[in-house]
Formats: sequence, structure tokens, C-alpha cells
Amino acid sequence: MRVWYLVRETLNNIRVHRGDVVIGIVTTAFALACFGVFLLLYLNLQHLAENLQSGIEVIAYLEPDASEQVVSEVHQRLRRDRAVVEVRVISKEQALRDFRRHFQRDALFLEEGNNPLPVSFVMKVRSPESVGEFVERVKRFSGVQHVQHSQEWLDKLAIVVSHFRLGAMVIGTILAVATATIIRNTVHLSLYTRREEIEILRLIGATGRFIAIPHVVEGAMLGAVGGGLSLVLLKVSFESVKSELLQAVQWFDGLERSLTFFPVPVSLLLVLAGMVLGCGSSLLSVRSLINVRS
Amino acid sequence: MIRFFHVSKFFDRCAALHDVTFRIDEGECVILSGPSGAGKTTLLRVIFGMEVPDDGQILVQNRNIARLHARDLPYLRRTIGFVPQNFQLLSQKTVYENVILPLIVQGVKRSEARRRVAATLQAVGIDHKQAIRAGVLSAGEQQRVCIARAIVTRPVIVLADEPTGNLDEELADEIIALFHTIHAQGTTVLLATHNQRVMAQMRGRVLQMRAGDVVSDKRMVT
Repeated sequence: MRVWYLVRETLNNIRVHRGDVVIGIVTTAFALACFGVFLLLYLNLQHLAENLQSGIEVIAYLEPDASEQVVSEVHQRLRRDRAVVEVRVISKEQALRDFRRHFQRDALFLEEGNNPLPVSFVMKVRSPESVGEFVERVKRFSGVQHVQHSQEWLDKLAIVVSHFRLGAMVIGTILAVATATIIRNTVHLSLYTRREEIEILRLIGATGRFIAIPHVVEGAMLGAVGGGLSLVLLKVSFESVKSELLQAVQWFDGLERSLTFFPVPVSLLLVLAGMVLGCGSSLLSVRSLINVRS
Repeated sequence: MIRFFHVSKFFDRCAALHDVTFRIDEGECVILSGPSGAGKTTLLRVIFGMEVPDDGQILVQNRNIARLHARDLPYLRRTIGFVPQNFQLLSQKTVYENVILPLIVQGVKRSEARRRVAATLQAVGIDHKQAIRAGVLSAGEQQRVCIARAIVTRPVIVLADEPTGNLDEELADEIIALFHTIHAQGTTVLLATHNQRVMAQMRGRVLQMRAGDVVSDKRMVT
């Protein structure tokens, strides 16, 4: 009888106080969406930085007259190097074709029999931090004339990413606390209007658990629906911003690949966060109303 | 059943109860009388665990109220029926739902609960209105529902705070008759009132209060 009463009471609470419930859901959705916008921004910037870092290439140019044996030796050493993820050989003929494709009319002076372009190796390195050391090592290889890389730019990117990570932790914590506070206050305000009902239940000998259960279940449902609504808001806004951005920055090929919405586990986590916040806020509010001895 | 040992309770340094000592035995009917502000309501609230005394000891069914843990308080309250001055009914719920609530809280079986509610509503003369929302009832009817809710669990003690305060004389007589019946069934009744007419009708002991003190303890002769 008690379980049936508690289920019925939860549904009844939602029906009778539907205005408060709607306000609670909307507030929860907006509070979580604010946090979600930040999280989305952070995850995408992180993703973008990782893409840029993983796309960094080091190019080693051999001397123009390097023999087949030298080319083969350098190739073997680079393939064996632990810092290298991928290595691609650009032959003299390939280099000439690429040059002609890029420079067209300006490349007319280059003839097939008089190709001054050297053989080169294009490499992807395992981590941006190891680039400097790797470049120094390659420079010492016999037959290598020049190594091209962007260490300075990489260093700056690494600093920006680490600063952003630190800032993200601070801002993320502040936003999470603010979100929790907003949700707690909304739920508390809603429960405060029902304090007389709680007082009557105490008058007839209801235990704290009996009084709290319908409100806690209601809080959890409110939080979960709010979390779901915040996901919908975020997805709609994200797709709109993404299409605007892709049109505005057409020159950046990797942008579309870098911009991603929350993966399913993070989306579920946001709904779960709403549920936990709603549930916890209700519990704290009911407890504060129950603990007054009257 | 109820024992007070030098109990004092202060609100903003003003004594609502001052060094009160008395004893109420099982099955007694006691009237707390005195003017408004004499400390009657505070005394009832202290017995019910709604206020913690600042000094002294209170034993209710051999349990020390002042030292009772908050989580044990609901179980003590289930043995006491309380009729507050302002009814405190769930106005959106029906008479039946209000009265059955203490039985749901105590986990009484549905069939047994229904039977008890029907009998109690009949006893207080409000059974014909059981499907009506409590909020639309008259003061007299609300008082009956409030009494029904207090006695439906068959408590060993019933505390009533000015149960006739909002009623006309005719209705007040009916309510007093109801308390006579409750007492006749062996329940200990402690009723606070400043109404001389009610005091004259009640049989039992009268504790006269003034400025937080019990100034006299007399047995009414009828």
C-alpha cells in the first residue's frame, strides 16, 4: 500500500505542481546547456588541437645528387625510427610533377632531363614534443641536406593547449557549481511551497524517508528531462553554428572533421548529471525542511 | 504516561513554560486551561516533540522526549493523536484521503485501513462527506476530519489544542461529546482550552496555567 501510495503521490505531485515542474525543467535545461556549451567548446578545441598536432609533418630533403643507395639507407633508418608514425618518399619525378601542378606556367623552365629537385621524405611524428630531438637526429644522417619543420609554431600550440586546459578546468568547475546551485535553488523554491504538506506528514508520524521519496523521484525525473532538453538545445545550436563556420572558413580542409558533437557516452552523462543534480537537490531541500523540529 | 520534571521553555528569553512539574496517568482526561499566552500550546508541542525544552525532563510513555533522536520521533508520534488549532489538513485531498494517510504511513493493510477509516468517519459523523475535498468543508466539519485523522490509528494519547476555538456553541458541544467518547474508550486525553463552557462540560482533571506556570491542579466534580 505504501509503495503504491508513493508512486501515486509522485505522479500527483507532478500533476498538481505542473507549473513548478515546467519551470524546474526549463531552468535545469538552460543551466545544463550553459555548461554544455562550454564543454562542447572545450572538447572541440581539444579535438582541433589534437588534429593539428597529429597532422604536423617533417620533411627531409636529400642532396640533389644522392644515389639510390643513399635514398634507400635514409629510408630504412627513418622507417626504423620510433618517433616516426608514417614516412612517404617523394621521388625526383614526383617532386617535379607536384611543382608543375602548383606553379604551372612558372615551372615551364624546368625540363624533364634537367630536374634540380631532390628526393624528399615526408614524415608524421608520434608526438609534437619529440619533433625537435627527431629533427636534430635526421639532420645528422648522411645525404640529408635540409630538414623542414615548424617547431616554434608547435611549441606555441602546445603552450596554448596547456593553458586552455588549465583555464577550462577552472571555468568548468565554476560553471558546474553555478549549474548545481541554480538547479538546487529552483528545486528548493518549488519544495518550499509544499512545506505545509511536509509539516502535516510529520504530524502524523511519517518518517523522513517516506516524506522524501516522492520529492526525490520527482527531482530525478525533472533533472533527467531537463538534461535531455539541454541536449536537444545544444545539438540544434551546434549544427547551426557548424554550418555557418564551415561556410565562413572554407580554406581549412580539416575543420569539418574536427567539429564533432558529444559522443553518446558524454550525452548520456549530461542526462545523468541532470538526474543526479535534480535528485540531490530535492534530497537536500526535503532534508532541510524535515530537520526543523516542529 | 506523561511526566514533567521542572520543565522550562524560553522564546527570546521569555518563559513560555517555567519550572513545570506534573504527572498524567494512563486513561486520564486532563484539561489545560488558562488565558491566551499561558503556555498551553507550548506544553502540548513539547509533549508531541515539536519543541525541545530548554530545561527539565519530559517522559512520554517512559521515553525522554528531550533526548529522543530525530529519527525516532515519528514512531513516538504514531502513538499520539494530535489535533492542532488550525486543523492542518491537506486541502486538495478528500476527507477519506486525509484520514487514511496516517494508516498508510504506518503500513496498515489496505482492507484493514478502509475498514478503520469508515468506522472512524462514522464515529465523528462525517462519513457522508468522505469524497469531498477537505478544503471546501466548513470549520466544524474540518475539525471532525482533524479529530478522525488523530484517532484513526487508535493512539494511546490524544492531544487537542483549542479544538472548539473556531466553532459555535452547538458544534463545540458535539466536539466535546466526541472527546468524551474517545476518553471513554480508554484513551488518555489532554485538551487545551480557554473556554469556560468547555471546561464545565468536560469531566476530569483541570491544570490551570498562567504565564508558563501550572498554578492549580483540580479534579472536576460532575
